[in-house]
Amino acid sequence: MSTSVIGHGELVILEELNPSSPHFKQGASLRVTGKLQEYTVESAIAVIVDGSATLRIDTQLMRLNLRIGSIYQFIGELVIEPSSEATLKARVGRNVDGMDLNLYHQSILLLRKFQAEQTSSGVA
Amino acid sequence: MDHMHHITNSRMDKLYNTHVKLLAFDFLNLKPNHAHPSSFSRQGTRLSRAEALGVVVWRELKPNKFLKFSIDDGTGCIPCLLWLNHLDSHYFSRRHPSDVRLIAELTKNFTSEIQLGGVARVRGKITGYRGALQITVSDVVIERDPNMEVFHWLDCVRLARLCYDTVKDVKPDNSTTHVPF
Repeated sequence: MSTSVIGHGELVILEELNPSSPHFKQGASLRVTGKLQEYTVESAIAVIVDGSATLRIDTQLMRLNLRIGSIYQFIGELVIEPSSEATLKARVGRNVDGMDLNLYHQSILLLRKFQAEQTSSGVA
Repeated sequence: MDHMHHITNSRMDKLYNTHVKLLAFDFLNLKPNHAHPSSFSRQGTRLSRAEALGVVVWRELKPNKFLKFSIDDGTGCIPCLLWLNHLDSHYFSRRHPSDVRLIAELTKNFTSEIQLGGVARVRGKITGYRGALQITVSDVVIERDPNMEVFHWLDCVRLARLCYDTVKDVKPDNSTTHVPF
């Protein structure tokens, strides 16, 4: 496997991830963060929640001890069913208990603004 | 005019030996400097070293040769190379053997610490390999505080606005443009 084939996980706030979002695409590489609400060992499917939004996470590819109520971050690719139900097939995950989610959300917005400025000024 | 040229050149080089904190999208857009193969350019500013931080999303280990890995900071993936051949390499033959053994031991520890899903802060030389940019790593810190990545983003934004971007904004009257955070 070559490093060049790995796309970065675009930073996404769960509440932004709906069918009208530009990130809501088959195979999109995303990084999502939320509190673990459910986990089924047999299917390795987890559900994370952030605010009023939830997302299914397929954790089959990972070795991670999941604990209900803890905050996790996952990077992976989005799989969208014909019913528009989305699941993130995670390739990397980590526990981020203690993360300041308010600061995290605000920083993502600042980062996007900065990237847009740099791109328009020709740095990137 | 020569004096002005000298001032401009020294400003363009003021970050040359600094480990410049960069976001991945910024790092991946550095341009090779053909006149000076060991340096890279960010909008005319010459750089040779970088510091980056991100989630380890890929790793390939060749024991006693190298560890290749990629870190994803949410804006891009930076390829990293950690050499593990210190005890055999001619590059280190002039160094004191005890120093080389110490460096070899240190990099061995880095290798075991760099695992998928961990957050690594890396420092090293900016290098090119087969047309792609990478960091040839000299130092690794595994960050365990879940807020550290956010602090790194904010550092990168602040430094770009208040430091890196002001270098390119040098005007003929030697004043600089400052952009508030």
